[in-house]
Formats: sequence, structure tokens, C-alpha cells
Amino acid sequence: MMIFTLYFLLLKATVTSFAGMGSLPQIRQDFVVTHGVITDEQLSQAVVIGRSAPGPVGAYVVAVGYFAGGWLGAFAAWLAMITPALLVIPLLTLLRRFLHLPRVKAAVDAVVIASAVLLLTSVFRMAMDSVEMIRRVFG
Amino acid sequence: MPGTTKDMQVDKATLRTLGWLVFYDVNRTLGGLASMELLRRSLGARGWMTDEGHALFVAISRLTPGTNILAYCVALGWQFAHWRGALVSLAAASIPASTLIALLSATLTHIDQLPVVRAIIAIALIVATLLVLATAWNLLRPYIKGTNAVRAGIIAAIVIVLVLMKVTPVRILLVAAAFGVAMASPAAPSVAEVDR
Repeated sequence: MMIFTLYFLLLKATVTSFAGMGSLPQIRQDFVVTHGVITDEQLSQAVVIGRSAPGPVGAYVVAVGYFAGGWLGAFAAWLAMITPALLVIPLLTLLRRFLHLPRVKAAVDAVVIASAVLLLTSVFRMAMDSVEMIRRVFG
Repeated sequence: MPGTTKDMQVDKATLRTLGWLVFYDVNRTLGGLASMELLRRSLGARGWMTDEGHALFVAISRLTPGTNILAYCVALGWQFAHWRGALVSLAAASIPASTLIALLSATLTHIDQLPVVRAIIAIALIVATLLVLATAWNLLRPYIKGTNAVRAGIIAAIVIVLVLMKVTPVRILLVAAAFGVAMASPAAPSVAEVDR
């Protein structure tokens, strides 16, 4: 996979999530289902590695980037992880002006709820993977 | 300038200290609110951040797409020394963990077929699953109180139906945002805002 494509796919996932792990459903959709550059097992391993290391929860995307594109992929993933954080600078100004509007608050709340439910659907898949892996290892 | 001492002279030594504090506090926890609390204490002890500033950064970082702790660090650095502060904070918060994760990934690709490694991964995967579940629950929890629970339930049902219809996550989030706007009551404050 081209590094730019990898960056933009990961950016799409990180910029549309509201928590470190919130990007998981979109990453699975793009990297496992649509492009097939990593497997479900590699995605689960990326989550495991991400949670094994201290630091930001969302840093698991670096492992996804590594599995999909080696060291350059990991670098692209790091860029994709940090890019949305820079949005906080204009948001500091904009949200002070618009966040009091009920429709803006409601839209943000709805997106956060939806991302949490999407994450729950990923948990279901991960749980199935866990059972399958344990069955293979210990069975 | 809420959050930091207004007229502080930000020299290289101060920026280095900021970078060190962000590096130390973010990379000795698993991110999230624990890191934010450590930063509040460290910077507050030096008179570099007020509780009001901390609350503002927490609220805005939760509304910023992506990883909350990184947005928090950028906001903190920006208020501290604009672009220089933002970039120093962002680098200190993200580079060490990312490097470690890349190294772990590189190592794992060479040893992941060893039986003992696969057993460790299998057990770690269960723990990771529970941690992801906890993340989802923490996101959802503020919205399942009082009258907002009904709205949250409707949104959850819509999301599940769309997932079953194999609609992509981005489109699902757009539908949710549109639904949120349509359902907005002009007078009602959101439960999440109260909790935040």
C-alpha cells in the first residue's frame, strides 16, 4: 500500500473518532475488509501492542501502520495520529463561540454516542477473535 | 489567556521543562484522564496551569477528533507558547510511545509464531478486549442518564441497524450527527456537558 494512501486512510479513521480506540471500526473497514492489507489477527495484535505500551491509547495505529507498511507505514501512522490533535487550536477559538448552540452540542453528542456504539461492535469481534485464538493455542 | 500564567517569559529552558513534564506524565500512564490529572498536578505545582484552564482543556480535548490526551497536550502547549509549545508538547506526548510500539511490532512479526508468544498474545487479547469495552463504556456513560438515555438508545439502535446493513463507520457518524441536529431541543442542555 502506498504510504500516502496509508496516511489518508488512517487519518480518515482518526479524524472521525473521539477517543483513542474510536478509530478501530474504520481502520478494520479500510485495512482488513476493503484493502485486505492486514488481517483481523494483526489488527488484534496491534491493539494488544498498543495497550501494552504506556502513553496515548490511540498509539496502536502505529502498530497498524507498521503491519501495513513497515517502518514508513509506522511513521505515516504516527503522523495520522497527531494530525487531528492540531485541530484543537482552531477549536479553542471556534468552540468558545459556537458550543453553546444546542444543535452543535447535540450533533457532537450524537457523534460521540455513535462512535461508542461502533466501538462496542468492534469489541464483539475482538471477543470472538480471543475465543478463537485461545481455542487454537490451548485447545 | 486561561489556563497558564499570562505574562510568563517562555524561554528555551522553560520549553524544555514543559516537554519533560509532558513526556514524563503522559508516558508513565496509559494515557487519557490519568495523564491529564498528572499534568494538572505537575503544571499546577509550578503555577503554570489553573484548575479552570485544566477543565477547559479537558472539555475541548474531548470534542477534538482523535486521541484526547494529544489534543489536551496541544491545547496546553499552545496556551503556553503557541506553535513552539504545541509542537514540543505533541512530540513529547507521542514520539516515545509510538517508537516503542513500532519496535514491539517489528519484534512481534519475527516471533509471533512461537507457541509461548501466541499464548501470551491470546491472553493479552482478552485484556485488550476488556480495555476497549471500558473505553466504549466511558464514552457512553455520560449519555445514559435521565431523559438523554432515550435519545442515546435511539442513536444506538440506528447505529446497530446501519452496522448490520454494512454501512461504513464514517457514514454512520454522519447519519448520527444529522440525527443529533434534528433531535436537538433548543433549551435542553446535554447531560454530557454537565458531566464534563
